[in-house]
Amino acid sequence: MTVPVLVRIGALVVATTCFYMYVGQMVPQKEVQPPAEVVLKTDLSPPEMAKVGRQIMEGKGFCLTCHTIGKTEGPYRFPDLANVAVRAKTREPGLSDVEYFAQAMYEPNAFIVPGFNPGMPTINRPPIGLTDPEILCVIAYLQTLGGTTTVTMQTKHHYNSGASTTAAPAEAPAAPAATPAAAAGKAGGQ
Amino acid sequence: MNRKLLILVGPVAGIAMFIAVVWIATVFVSHNEYRDTYRAPVAAVDATPREAGVTAEAAAADTKAKATPYAEVEYRTFPIFGSRVAIWAVAQLHLLFAAFVLAVPIFALIVEAIGYKTGDLRYDRLAHEFTKLLSVSFSLTATFGAFLTFMLIALYPKFTNYMMSVFSPTFLPYVLLFFFEAFFLYTYYYGWGKFHPLVHLGLGLGLNLVGTSIMLIANAWLTFMMSPRGVSDNGAVLSVWDAINNYTWMPINVHRVIANVAFGGSVAAAYAAVKFLQAETDEDRAHYDWMGYIGNFVAISAFLPLPFAGYWLAKEIYAYSQTLGLTMMGGAFSWLFIIQAVLIGNLFLAANYYLWLGMGRVEGVQPLQKFIKYLLAAVTLCFMVWATPRSIIATVSELRAMGGSTHPVLGYFGVMSAKNTAVNILILTTFMSFLLYRRTGKTATVSWAKAGHAAQLAIFAAAAFIVIFLGVYGYFVEATVRIKLSVPQVSSVLFAMISITAIDVFLFRGAKRTGEVQWGRIPAISQYVLIFIAVTFTWLMGLMGYVRSGLRQHWHVYGVMRDHSVDAFTPTLGFATKVVSVTVLMFFVLIGIVFWIASLHDRLDYQPRTKA
Repeated sequence: MTVPVLVRIGALVVATTCFYMYVGQMVPQKEVQPPAEVVLKTDLSPPEMAKVGRQIMEGKGFCLTCHTIGKTEGPYRFPDLANVAVRAKTREPGLSDVEYFAQAMYEPNAFIVPGFNPGMPTINRPPIGLTDPEILCVIAYLQTLGGTTTVTMQTKHHYNSGASTTAAPAEAPAAPAATPAAAAGKAGGQ
Repeated sequence: MNRKLLILVGPVAGIAMFIAVVWIATVFVSHNEYRDTYRAPVAAVDATPREAGVTAEAAAADTKAKATPYAEVEYRTFPIFGSRVAIWAVAQLHLLFAAFVLAVPIFALIVEAIGYKTGDLRYDRLAHEFTKLLSVSFSLTATFGAFLTFMLIALYPKFTNYMMSVFSPTFLPYVLLFFFEAFFLYTYYYGWGKFHPLVHLGLGLGLNLVGTSIMLIANAWLTFMMSPRGVSDNGAVLSVWDAINNYTWMPINVHRVIANVAFGGSVAAAYAAVKFLQAETDEDRAHYDWMGYIGNFVAISAFLPLPFAGYWLAKEIYAYSQTLGLTMMGGAFSWLFIIQAVLIGNLFLAANYYLWLGMGRVEGVQPLQKFIKYLLAAVTLCFMVWATPRSIIATVSELRAMGGSTHPVLGYFGVMSAKNTAVNILILTTFMSFLLYRRTGKTATVSWAKAGHAAQLAIFAAAAFIVIFLGVYGYFVEATVRIKLSVPQVSSVLFAMISITAIDVFLFRGAKRTGEVQWGRIPAISQYVLIFIAVTFTWLMGLMGYVRSGLRQHWHVYGVMRDHSVDAFTPTLGFATKVVSVTVLMFFVLIGIVFWIASLHDRLDYQPRTKA
């Protein structure tokens, strides 16, 4: 039985398309939800802040797309964050660890760690757009990486000038999204 | 139908019908037991006459509607599929046809110009045949464009309104250009052979210029969504020109022109393949074999520099926002590039295979055929490296055995150093296949032939060495240095392709013919390869269109206007590939109709039967 040419061509088109669709089903499947909107409480304890900070870094902050924590071998696109709390205290003369972390997020190009390229976005502006209280939570988590949390929801630094005392609506950490260089330290930072 | 098949189908159908009847009977018996008809109690029945009740209800609804204040709607929902999938499919179909309509005039003009210059009428016929596919495709492009616009207005009114407020100065030029496009296209097509050849070429040039200008305007809209510029943080327009000339506008323009030519060439080659397979005379087979070869030549020639344009686009995306760049390459979309590697690897394999099959057209091909096995090995090896993911999907025990998600050996092939090297060697290998094909049946007779061959070989070897050396070197240096290594890799490949081609042109000028090309003498499978290439190109365009658009994730306009619709999430790659596949199939059904309509042109006129 001879199969007509047009039927053969149709079968080839369908088979090729289905093959690529099949390849598409073989790779990891992940649905990325947009950040959900929640309000951060103003009376979070430091450990609670650190926990929220970690969630923000995985989700809304997009931090862990670029930064790693505890990676022992290169190549590093952006600095690894293990023990960053220790380095932050002395990284820039005259800046405390909290001020350094804050600068890294509000003004990421102010200081670039040698060996890395600039690339971290300004974290309190879109598209990341973390609020001041959320950034305090991220700082709280970063302080746990080699140190202990000292910030509270009322901590003031150069960039928030009292904004952290208000109950600003914040977008909560969402499902871990693809994570650009964000909250946890400047590009090349830490 | 085959008698044995009928004997088999009869009992199978009988059994299937029997099972269906039993199942239906079971459902009725178990779920539809008898119940009395429900009647409302007398006390609960409204005594109002039905007509009066209906009138009162209508009046109440009318009053309520009049009292409702006008409110802007942010989103509307498309039934069954949802708004995103509906817009996605329509936009994709519009873009595929637009790419075809923009590409065909480019190579029709080039082919016509070659015909004019050489006086070879075959080129003129070929250019005309390409152009025949245009008029129906143009109508479909415009129809899908209008469909897309109405869908955007209806389903995403707030977003569309914002885009209109930013880009309103571009709309009038866009519409005017469309008029010019129609004018040039129809005069170019219907004026074939009716004007002086230079006037006709001028019309073709006008068609290309206008078509490209239309694309530039439309590209400004879509690239603005990805890398907005010229607006304040809250979206207010500061400069329309800056909004147009945003970070990714020019890279997308260049990338699209090249990709459109590659895509258009592949679809035109597929058209020739269909005609070849249906041809009944040797003359037709020879013509369509040649047409397919030219279409494929155009497609692959455009395809070779495409990765370089892709690098530039990716670089600009990173320059605009590291967040966006890393979402693309290291985040939600990183696995999409493994699918892309499979597609591009297949394209390279198929393109090379077609060229190797094509060598059979020429007498005296044997001396060159011995190289094919090495080329095949190089293509396969590079394909495997390119398709190797950095992190491997594995079970817990496998992960434990590997010491992480990265394989201790294969993991090294998953990084950019290896992938850049692989793609550059792939390009060099395919270029070498082209070169071998070009030389088939010819012997250089110039006095410096030996030195010319040696120079070509030296350049090729040097380019391959540079690409591989820098690829390996990339493993031992910092990220800041490694990123910059791709530039000399790409440059050496481009230099090799240009310089070797230049030498080849002079080397084979006045070459001795050792065998004639016999068009049409090629296995039928080669034509299926052309169709496979066209489908793969189309699917690749669909996939890359998805990543360009999906990269914004939950933003309509990245960082400026957030998506609050129910479709704001980024779907899985599996879902995306299903949508792409369905769209591709729809495109091929429609392009089949275009081919059929174009073929009506060559049919004999209808002759009414006359009674004897």
